[in-house]
Amino acid sequence: MAAIVHPQRVPAPAYAAPKPEATGLWSWLTTIDHKRIGILYGTSAIFFFLLGGLEALIIRTQLIRPENSLVSDQRYNELFTMHGTTMIFLAIMPMSAAFFNYIVPLQIGARDVAFPRLNAFSYWVFLAGGIILNLSWFFNMVPDTGWYGYAPLTSIMFSPADNVDFWALGIQVLGLASLAAAFNFIVTIINLRAPGMTMMRLPIFTWATLIVNVLIAMAFPAITIALALLSFDRFVGTSFFSAYNLVDGNLITTGGDPLLWQHLFWVFGHPEVYILVLPAFGIVSEIIPTFARKPLFGYAVMVYALAAIAFLGFGVWVHHMFTTGLGPTVDSVFAGTTMLIAIPTGVKILNWVATMWGGSMVFPTAMLFAIGLVSQFTIGGLSGVMHAVVPVDQQHNDSYFVVAHFHYVLFGGSIFAIFAGIYYWWPKISGHLLDERLGKMHFWLQFIGFNMTFFPMHFLGLAGMPRRYSSYGEESGWWFWNVVASIGAYLIAISILLFLYNVARSLRDSRRAGDNPWDAGTLEWAMSSPPPVYNFRDIPVVTHRDPLWAEKYGSHAVPADEGTLDVTLGGAKVGEADVADEDPGKQIEHRMDTDDTHDIHMPNPSFYPLVAALGIFLAALGLLVNNPWITFQLLSLPSLSVLGLLIMIFGIYGWSFEPAG
Amino acid sequence: MATAIELETSHGTGHGDDAGHGHAEHPPTSTGMDSRKLLMWAFLASDTMFFGALIATYMTYRGRSEELAVPPYPFDILDIPYTSISAFVLLMSSLTMVLALSAIQRGNYRGLRVWLLATALLGSIFVGGQYFEFTEFYHEGLTLQGNMFGGSFFILTGFHGTHVTIGIIWLMTLFVVSLRGGLSREKSMNVEIAGLYWHFVDIVWIVIFTLVYLIPYEEVENLAEPAAQGYLWLSTMASYAGSLIR
Repeated sequence: MAAIVHPQRVPAPAYAAPKPEATGLWSWLTTIDHKRIGILYGTSAIFFFLLGGLEALIIRTQLIRPENSLVSDQRYNELFTMHGTTMIFLAIMPMSAAFFNYIVPLQIGARDVAFPRLNAFSYWVFLAGGIILNLSWFFNMVPDTGWYGYAPLTSIMFSPADNVDFWALGIQVLGLASLAAAFNFIVTIINLRAPGMTMMRLPIFTWATLIVNVLIAMAFPAITIALALLSFDRFVGTSFFSAYNLVDGNLITTGGDPLLWQHLFWVFGHPEVYILVLPAFGIVSEIIPTFARKPLFGYAVMVYALAAIAFLGFGVWVHHMFTTGLGPTVDSVFAGTTMLIAIPTGVKILNWVATMWGGSMVFPTAMLFAIGLVSQFTIGGLSGVMHAVVPVDQQHNDSYFVVAHFHYVLFGGSIFAIFAGIYYWWPKISGHLLDERLGKMHFWLQFIGFNMTFFPMHFLGLAGMPRRYSSYGEESGWWFWNVVASIGAYLIAISILLFLYNVARSLRDSRRAGDNPWDAGTLEWAMSSPPPVYNFRDIPVVTHRDPLWAEKYGSHAVPADEGTLDVTLGGAKVGEADVADEDPGKQIEHRMDTDDTHDIHMPNPSFYPLVAALGIFLAALGLLVNNPWITFQLLSLPSLSVLGLLIMIFGIYGWSFEPAG
Repeated sequence: MATAIELETSHGTGHGDDAGHGHAEHPPTSTGMDSRKLLMWAFLASDTMFFGALIATYMTYRGRSEELAVPPYPFDILDIPYTSISAFVLLMSSLTMVLALSAIQRGNYRGLRVWLLATALLGSIFVGGQYFEFTEFYHEGLTLQGNMFGGSFFILTGFHGTHVTIGIIWLMTLFVVSLRGGLSREKSMNVEIAGLYWHFVDIVWIVIFTLVYLIPYEEVENLAEPAAQGYLWLSTMASYAGSLIR
C-alpha cells in the first residue's frame, strides 16, 4: 500500500489555500463547501443511526422472552415505527448523501457541486425534518403506525392525536431536502465533469449517484403527494384515504379508497429500496477493484445494470400488495416484472465476483465489508425474488421472513457498504487511517452479530411469527431463535462501539495517511488528504477510466474504453491524448496555468440557505404545536406557519439577490 | 418551489456558459448547456411526477361521486365555456412569454418589460378566474369534504393554480429587476428559465382541462342503484365506522 507520487498534479501543501479556511460555529452554519456539507450529513446520519439502533435494541430486548413487558404495546408500536423511519430517512439516505457530497465532486474533478447554496439548503432542510420527526418524543406524540403508515389507520378516526402528523410532516420536509439535493447532483454529474471525462469514463460510484438521484427526483413526488393528501385528510377533513367522511355531524359514504394510499406509497416505496441500495452498489464497485488490484469487470454492463434496476424499480410496486386482492392478472404482471429485476441484480453480483476472480486480492477492513455486502445481499436478493411468486409472498406477508429479507438487503447490503465506504474514504476525509486491527474486530463482530440476528428470523417467519407484535406466547416455540436474535443484536451494538472508538482514536492519531493509501485509481486520490477547499488546483484532463492507474501503470493496465481518447469539453474537442504514451504525468494536460491559487475563485459562504430551511421548519412546526390560527376568508393557517413561510420567502429572495461571490 | 425561484438570479458558482458574470476561470459545462437550465429541466421532470400523482388520484375518483350518488356532480357544477376562456387566456400567455424572451435576446429591454408584464397579467386573469370559479362552486355546495369530486377537483386545480401564482411572482420579480437595470441581454438565460417553467405550467393545464372539464361525465340517471353497483361494502364500512364514533 505504498503511496504513489503524482508529479505536477498533486496540490501539495506548498500551495496555500486562496483564503485561510474559516473555522468556528458560524463558518459551519454558513458553509457551502461540498466537503463540509458532506461531513455534516455524515455526522448527523451517524447520530440518527445510533438513535435508530437504540430503538432496535429495545425492540430486541422486549422480544428476548415470551410475554415480556419491558415496554407497553403502544411504546412498542412507536419503537418499530421510529426505527424503520429513522434508519431509512435519517441514517441510510443521509449517509449516502454524505458520500455523494464529499466524493462525487472530487471524482469528477469539479470545484464544488453545481449549486453550492442549494446544497447547503438541502442539508439544513434534512436536519429540520429529522428534528421534527424526533421532537415527537418530547411531546409524547410518537408516530405509531409503521413506516408505511397504511390508511385508514392513519385517519383522524383511528389516530386522533398528533402522532401521525409528526410523521407525515417530518417525512414531507425530508422529501423536500432529498428532491433539492437530487436536482443538484443530477446537474453536477452531467455538467461539471472535468475535460475528457465522458459519461462512460465516470467512476462507477458517480454513476450510481446519478441514477439514484434520478430515482429520487422521479419517486419522491408520489410520496409527497400522498403525504399532502393525508395531511388534507387530517387537517382539512377530506377523505382521500377513507371510504366515509363526517360532514357537519352526518356520516356520508364518499367512496375514498384506503388502497390508493398503498399504491401511492409503494410507487415511491419500491424505488426507495433502490435509492437505499444503489449507492451501496456504487461504493462496493469502487472498493472491490481497488483491492482486487484490477479494473472493474464489465464496467459498461455494470452501468446498464444500474440503469435497468432503476427503470424496472418503477414497475414492481404491486408485489408489496399481493395480499390486497387486486386479482390474478395484476398479480401475474407484477410477479413477472419482479422476477425481471433479478437479472440486472444478478449481473452485478457476478461482475463483482469476476472482478475478484484472478485478482491479487488484499483484505483490509473496507474490502471485508464490501465482500460482506456481496454475500449478504445475495441472500437478501434470493429471499426477495422468492416473493415474486405470489402464493409464497402471500404466505410470508407480514411475517418475520420479510423482516429477515429486508434486513439482509438494507443492513447486510446498505449498512455494510456504508461501513466499507467509511473505512475506504476515511483517510481521504480525515487525513488519518482507521486502525485495521480494530476495524477487523468490528467487521467480524458485526458480521457474526448481523447473521445471528437476522438469519433466525427466516425460521421464525416460516414458523408463523408475525411482524410488529409486541410479544409472543410461550407455547409458540419461538423463544429460542428470539434469544439468538437478541444476542446477535447486542453483538452488533458492541461492534458499533468498537467502530466509534476506532474513529475517536484515529482523529487523535498524529500519523498521516498520505494521498493515496490504497493505491486506488480514481481522481479523488490524486489530492492531498484532506483535500484543500478548492479541490484540484488545476482541473485535470481525463483520458481513462481509472486515471491514476493509467498514469502510474501505463494505459495498457486499464482497458481502453469504447470511445476515442479525444479530450472533449462542452461537446467540442479540445485535445487528444496519446494512448501509447506511457510516460507518467504526460497524459495529464493542464488547462489552466495559474501560478498560484489566488486566481481560484470560490463562492462566498451564505446564511440564506439556513434561513430558508428555518422558515420551512417553522412552517411545519406551526401545524404541530399549539399556536393561534389566522383565518382569512376560507383559508385558515397557524400563525407560526405563516411566520415560517415569510421567513422562507425572505431567505429565498436574499439568496437570489446575494452576489454569489 | 424553493428550487424554482432560486434559479432566477442566482448564479450559483456560475458554471453556466452565459458571459454575464465574467469569471474567466469558470470552465464551460461538460454539455455546453447552462447548469441552471439543466436544473430547471430536472425539476420539471420531477414536477411531471407531482402532477402525475395528482392526476392519477383524480382519475381514480372520477365518477365515484355519481356512482355513490353524493352530490354535487361535476356536470352540474363545471362551466365549460367559462373555463375555456380562461384556458385560452393562459395559453396566450405562452405566446407573450416567447415574445419576452425574444425581446431580451435582441436587447429590446422595453419590449421585454412589456411582454413580461403582459404574461403576468394574463396569468393573473387565469388565477383570478380560478378564484372566482372556486368561490362560485363553493356557494353551489362543492366542498373539499363533501364528496370525492370536490376533494380531488380542488386539490388538483388548486395545485396548478399555485404553480401559476408562483410563476406570476417570478415574472414580476424579473420585471422589477429589469426596471432597475439588472437584466441585460447577456442575462437572457434568467428569462429563458422562467419561460421553461411557464410553458410547462401551461402544458399541464391542457392535460388537466381535458381530463377534468372536457371528457364528459356520465349522468346520474343512467346509473343503477348505488348499492347494486358493488359498493355495498362501502356502506357497510360506513355504518361500522359510525358505530365506532358513537
